[in-house]
Amino acid sequence: MSDHDHKPAPMVDEVSDFEILEMAVRELAIEKGLFSAEDHRVWTEYVHTLGPLPAARMVAKAWLDPEYKKLCDTDGVEASKAVGVNWVTSPPTQFGTPSDYCNLRVLVDTPTVKHVVVCTLCSCYPRPILGQSPEWYRTPNYRRRLVRWPRQVLAEFGLQLPSDVEIRVGDSNQKTRYFVMPVRPEGTEGWNEDQLTEIVTRDCLIGVAVPKPGVTSNAKRPVIKAIHPVHHGH
Amino acid sequence: MATGIGDPQCFKGKAGASKFKEGDRVRVKDLPDIFYTRTMTYTRGAVGTVTKLVYESPAAEDEAWDNTDNPEWFYSVVFKQKELWPEYPDLYANDTVETEFPERYLESA
Repeated sequence: MSDHDHKPAPMVDEVSDFEILEMAVRELAIEKGLFSAEDHRVWTEYVHTLGPLPAARMVAKAWLDPEYKKLCDTDGVEASKAVGVNWVTSPPTQFGTPSDYCNLRVLVDTPTVKHVVVCTLCSCYPRPILGQSPEWYRTPNYRRRLVRWPRQVLAEFGLQLPSDVEIRVGDSNQKTRYFVMPVRPEGTEGWNEDQLTEIVTRDCLIGVAVPKPGVTSNAKRPVIKAIHPVHHGH
Repeated sequence: MATGIGDPQCFKGKAGASKFKEGDRVRVKDLPDIFYTRTMTYTRGAVGTVTKLVYESPAAEDEAWDNTDNPEWFYSVVFKQKELWPEYPDLYANDTVETEFPERYLESA
């Protein structure tokens, strides 16, 4: 008797319902002439060129220049221009994409206030200046838990903060997109803008990490196995 | 389409006078929503403080139906975690959540 419990690995990854929905809407939009297949290709390729470097540079500039820091605090859209990001006329569509909206707010940390960003609604993220969000940022796990148990979630990222530091969660579910400007860490005295930019990682800009001299990449996201996992019968 | 202007910038000046100002205490109304809302359940009924008048825009509840006739003021409101989640530990009583609401969802508290 053959072993019916042993299933061969699928040849391709499973396509999710949302991917099918996206393809259906995209094909319909092309068919109806809202945009062309070529427009879609150009836009997709453009979006994939974006990353968190401009935001990291904004933070570094602000650490070095108190006037610029003030501008970041009061007008994130204007301050973004100094690092080559125009929220309103970013190519290729000229109406503010690839963000859904054009309102950036920089959440400025202080020694007693630590910001961290989430979108409990879905996945709002300041894409023109941070690129695509990491996969974990879009998970229900992160979205549900960060607003309610921020200290536990931050601890999972390796960030434990004393009780006299206020943790302020920014939930970006309307038209403002946030990134976090962390406090400049000790041990960076005399550093130039390029050196400072290197330690402002994507995770620092979301707020789940703080910059440290010598740390220039995101920590590995911990994977915690479910206590009662759901078994799928494929 | 807000070509060359940006959204929400394209609604600037269209909401009239604002009802609340920075520092006001406000309660989030638990309005019924028809199919679409961006006012999160966890904030409904909670009392917070306006930190900023952020922009003018139609509420998402209207905009979802392509209705942009009634732009209103949006407010950023900060809540004590304890106000949102009664079981939040007292040790971290300073912890907060900040998020935005269209004016229709807010009343003086």
